[in-house]
Amino acid sequence: MIDTERIEALATSLATDGYHLEVTERGSRVSAVITAGPEACEDCLVPKDFMRGILANALGADGEEIDITYPADNSEGN
Amino acid sequence: MPNAILDPTGTTAKATARAAPRAPRPASLRGKRVGLLINTKRNARPFLTELGRLLRESYDVTLTERTKVNFAVPEPEDVIKDLAAEADVIVTGVGDCGSCSAAAAADGVVFEAAGLPVAVIVTDSFRATADAMAELRGAPGFGYATTAHPVAVLTEDQVKQRAAEVLDDVVALLTS
Repeated sequence: MIDTERIEALATSLATDGYHLEVTERGSRVSAVITAGPEACEDCLVPKDFMRGILANALGADGEEIDITYPADNSEGN
Repeated sequence: MPNAILDPTGTTAKATARAAPRAPRPASLRGKRVGLLINTKRNARPFLTELGRLLRESYDVTLTERTKVNFAVPEPEDVIKDLAAEADVIVTGVGDCGSCSAAAAADGVVFEAAGLPVAVIVTDSFRATADAMAELRGAPGFGYATTAHPVAVLTEDQVKQRAAEVLDDVVALLTS
């Protein structure tokens, strides 16, 4: 089950840097999609591997069960 | 010395299983060597420089400065070791973005594991990110000195005022 309070706290921090976080459960997996707003600070987003760890802790899930999408993934058509 | 190396990516939740050690605190900062680890965020240098000046004025500390290689990622182990050898306590910051707050927290956990008390300064907007990284590194409940976000846009005088405002919290974090 997603700890909405912790996720919302992370989302608020991300929003300060111009990013939006959306976390959804998909069966046994969790999807975390981070999108960049027009004023997003490119260097301010933690590397994806670190985000995986942070989300794994916040969600109490194994990092391998979290599908993370970063803004660069979308721009590359992934 | 405790082994400070943890899973650098935190790919699994099991990475948090072992609690990170916390360094013993001196009773006072008087005469201590203070290491300033400055990230390259705007206004971080004048913020920590002023904080160092205030610490020297109040506690007769000696100061050593290092500049982070990359504010967005934890500092390389050799830089941590170099600074640890030249300081009794560490002050680092300013974490006023997601990546730099997380990196500052990660650096703080490593310094503590190396036996050095550390005061990590983050802005209030990124406390959650810093907390998440500290917990990931096995240090839930890690303490910070916080200042209001943002710092980057402040004037020189405003930066000095902010530094003065966190002085007591920094001292409290570094002493018993």
